[in-house]
Amino acid sequence: MLNDVTFGQYYPAKSFVHKSDPRIKLLALIAYIVSLFLAKNFYALAACFVVLVTTIIASRVPFGSVMRSIKAIIVLLIFTAVLNLFFHGGEHLLVQWGIIKIYREGIIFTVFFVFRLFFLVMGSALLTLTTTPVELTDGIESLLTPLKWVRFPVHELALIMSIALRFIPTLIDETNRIISAQKARGADFESGNIFKRIKAIVPILIPLLISAFRRAEELGDAMDARCYSGSKNRTKYKKLKFGWRDVIIVLLFAALITGVVMLNIYAYRIFPEIYEYIRLS
Amino acid sequence: MTEIQENVITFDKVKFSYSGSNGWALNGIDLSVKKGEFLSVIGHNGSGKSTLARLINGLLEADAGTIQVLGMNVAEGKNPIEIRKHVGIVFQNPDNQMVASIVEDDVAFGPENIGIERAEIGRRIEWALKAVGMEEYRHSTPARLSGGQKQRIAIAGVLAVKPEIIVLDESTAMLDPKGRREVIEVIQRLNKDEGMTVILITHFMEEALLADRTVVLNRGEIVLSGTPEEIFENGDKLEAFNLCLPRITEIVNSLNRGGMSVPNVLRPEALAAAVAENFKSAGIEEGRSSPVSPAEINSAHEWDIDIKNLTFTYSRKSAFASKALNGINLHIDEGEFFGIIGHTGSGKSTLVQHLNALIKLPQAEKKYRKKRVKKGQPQPELPEITIGEYDLSRKKCDFRKLRSDVGMVFQYPEYQLFAESVFADVAFGLKNFKKELTAEQVEEAVRSSIEMVGLDYNEVKDKSPFDLSGGQKRRVAIAGVIVTRPKILILDEPAAGLDPLGKKEITALLHKLHEEWCRTVIIVSHDMDEIAENCTRAAVISGGKVEMCERPSELFRHGEALRGLGLDTPLTSKISEELAKSNITIECDCTAEDFTRKVLEVYGGGNA
Repeated sequence: MLNDVTFGQYYPAKSFVHKSDPRIKLLALIAYIVSLFLAKNFYALAACFVVLVTTIIASRVPFGSVMRSIKAIIVLLIFTAVLNLFFHGGEHLLVQWGIIKIYREGIIFTVFFVFRLFFLVMGSALLTLTTTPVELTDGIESLLTPLKWVRFPVHELALIMSIALRFIPTLIDETNRIISAQKARGADFESGNIFKRIKAIVPILIPLLISAFRRAEELGDAMDARCYSGSKNRTKYKKLKFGWRDVIIVLLFAALITGVVMLNIYAYRIFPEIYEYIRLS
Repeated sequence: MTEIQENVITFDKVKFSYSGSNGWALNGIDLSVKKGEFLSVIGHNGSGKSTLARLINGLLEADAGTIQVLGMNVAEGKNPIEIRKHVGIVFQNPDNQMVASIVEDDVAFGPENIGIERAEIGRRIEWALKAVGMEEYRHSTPARLSGGQKQRIAIAGVLAVKPEIIVLDESTAMLDPKGRREVIEVIQRLNKDEGMTVILITHFMEEALLADRTVVLNRGEIVLSGTPEEIFENGDKLEAFNLCLPRITEIVNSLNRGGMSVPNVLRPEALAAAVAENFKSAGIEEGRSSPVSPAEINSAHEWDIDIKNLTFTYSRKSAFASKALNGINLHIDEGEFFGIIGHTGSGKSTLVQHLNALIKLPQAEKKYRKKRVKKGQPQPELPEITIGEYDLSRKKCDFRKLRSDVGMVFQYPEYQLFAESVFADVAFGLKNFKKELTAEQVEEAVRSSIEMVGLDYNEVKDKSPFDLSGGQKRRVAIAGVIVTRPKILILDEPAAGLDPLGKKEITALLHKLHEEWCRTVIIVSHDMDEIAENCTRAAVISGGKVEMCERPSELFRHGEALRGLGLDTPLTSKISEELAKSNITIECDCTAEDFTRKVLEVYGGGNA
């Protein structure tokens, strides 16, 4: 049942993007998202696209894998796109069926909106494709470090996240085993109405919970036995290193934000006729 | 002997009881462990072994008495961290001691906790991983490792704190023989080369033998203490403490009863030498036992299992595709007590899951369509399985009925119990399969299967399954499968994790089931002695293929080949192998009983 769930979607490779610092990748993603939302015209959006494609090529992740991430939002995307298309106002009326009016501005806006969302999802997917969950946690912990000054339990939070990540495959295995065992005893998870199906989950959920508690207890003992006593006097073996790759990424994304801002202001000078035609109202 | 006999651990009249339970878990323990000593601790489930381990490093606090570790008083326990720096514990379940998703991060966890600086942590990781022979796996993820490898990582994680004492709390219980061997080798090396004090808590008598000294716990008290030879000499006593003799001691005893004089040795080579010595002094230069009696031929074939060309790949379409089965052909006759042997990851679990269609054959899937084959290319061979009248390759096969006829008991089946009462849990399967039964019929079936597994129906039926002991839980879980009266019963490692007596009881139960309820019993096991003692035939699975499939008497002649596959031979064939070097050929069905009979036969024959 859970066979197809591969946790996270890390694509193992040794590329430029894989090797760079997760903190920088996180910050770069934020910069990229900000740029997407700052972009006010197609030229600026195209700049984001160029950066996205460059990064994908540099990551050596197949284009297909990145595109696959769109599947998750496709329904939402079509729904909002259709609403936008039908109900966006404008000056140049193209088609009219009853109350539905499609304007040229509506089409342009919808296209813009769809691409922006596409780029957003693809960019985020690229981060998880090139960064292991462990690196991500480390990155998040490191970026949150300043919060220690306001007594925010950064270390504990990071430990919880990394233990959760560590146990996800173990618990998936366990769930599969319990499902098989109950199936062998005639349990039926695939037919019946919703209530029957919810009821059928009980024989999986209870053993799973019990085992999770047992594991938690044993893990607690093992951590105690290995001298764990919170973050006090604790050192950290892994240090994230800021390298030349990260400098390049910082420069690239700084350039992106500047570029987008410049294009927002000066784009009308580039091919004015085209700009005028596809201008967003 | 000039080494300094310094006590590193001293227990003085230590008592401990868990809150909410009446009675002492440990009742007046006096124990001292010397520096560099290798101590093994044995005892039945619930005898207080694990409690003892947890008291040493202050995970539990004694109710009475004092515990000294390296001159520090544990009971005062103001700073348990100081003690834990010196006493490392490796627990039973390798999965539940890993904190991080990458090996080196996990090993680093201990040193990080005690504030070691980074460069030194790096050196310690390197040293600890080398000590357990896992240096290549530094950047791997534990999820991809075998049980034995994971447990070695757990040991490395403990070593990285640089303790002087290492305690193993049944750390080998969940491993296959290869993993167990790996862990034990590491422990022996640490004890001999690094001079580390080792306390090994174990259910395996064969492991307890390796220690300098053995302590036997019974109901919270130390009842025996001495060298392993001394402990295993008095077998009757051990049985009174709910323990069993190591198999080798049983053989020694029955040889002595048969008129030979064999000292109380603990290793197969030593036993073979002693037996050879007996032959020599009796003037027998060479000898050959009578051959193994031919197998009884079973005439009924109503419930034969036939597997042809079974191939299976996990996550076929993804990047992580892995071939689990690679062309299995196997025929199991009705009436067999069949064994399936293979180390972890050999594909044996995948194989048995096909037998009750938990994994369906591709042709039986609803979506399956015949592939068009280009002209000139051979038609691809499709896997086939038939069990009695069921043809598992047909979409129309009644898989629900099949599952009630082919019962499947998973590994650690007690972990699948869920209901509020034993009755409800056992009835679960029955109600799923046979909805038409009346309440009386259900009760009758549940009663008879609970009684079949040796529990008192009236006593347990209303209890919560979670209030039972480990062995009882397993029995309830088995009852929940046999309640549908399956014709074929498959059990994956039925005795795993039980104490020696529990193992014996489960084995006896399986034979009773085989005789009275089920036509065929199939056990998946990596315990060669278990296979040798019980099975009519066994198949060795390796790399998704059937490497051998024979009666134990034939199978275990291929000692070299089996070891090459990461497996082992039973004790009797080890001794036979050694004896063959002294021109004594023993042909037996590999059970201890037949082995001693054949040895005595040659011995007596020569004497006469």
